[in-house]
Amino acid sequence: MKFTIAVHGAPYASLANERALKFCSAVLAAGHDIVRVFFYHEGVLAALDSTVAPQDEIDITREWQKFALQQNTELAVCIANGLKRGLLSTEEQNRYDKTAPTLAAGFELVGLGQLIDGIAAADRYVEFPA
Amino acid sequence: MKKVLVVVNQPPYQSSHALELIEAAMVGAVFDFEVSILFRGEGVWNLLGDQNASPLGRRTVSKLLAALPTYDVSSLFVCTEALNQAALKTDQLVVPAALLSPQEQAGLIARQDAVIGG
Repeated sequence: MKFTIAVHGAPYASLANERALKFCSAVLAAGHDIVRVFFYHEGVLAALDSTVAPQDEIDITREWQKFALQQNTELAVCIANGLKRGLLSTEEQNRYDKTAPTLAAGFELVGLGQLIDGIAAADRYVEFPA
Repeated sequence: MKKVLVVVNQPPYQSSHALELIEAAMVGAVFDFEVSILFRGEGVWNLLGDQNASPLGRRTVSKLLAALPTYDVSSLFVCTEALNQAALKTDQLVVPAALLSPQEQAGLIARQDAVIGG
């Protein structure tokens, strides 16, 4: 079965990311596939490269990066939700003349259409709210 | 054509959630999904006509909702209990929305391929 996963909650403000990470691992362990993980609302903050997690706590951004690298999973960040919350690829940093890019490697800024495309391509759409 | 329901249960200006969910509904309709929106809980306040969010420096949600028919998002639903709780009458709504009991909402959700928000 194919799954599209959406993350709506921010790290530290909710457990959405921790839950989604565990769910994604379970989906693959059960032999299913993930079309993409789509970050929406405050969930986009999981892609913020400038965060430094406390040493004795989970580093959400790095965990997603590790997961995506190991499993070849697409981490899609809504560009409209991302830009207004400070998520900038190098391209967007140049476009808006900001001082530094902030999008962590492994994440991609995409249009909202990619959420709809993900739902169209999946058998199941599972959302992790704030 | 997939059936997608967008559930809005947050008020229009406390956060950006309602606005962002309505945007998702519009994009879904552009992609030829059969999109409907259910307003429940505090989300019913999004439907109130005569909003003006310019003092807040925000986009006026009711104006966006008024444009929904042109985006082919034609099925709008509202929770009867939430509407009553907010003391709102149907003639105060910016666009017509069908009243649904909690039981009818369960039926609506069961008929969907996917549910966004809520």
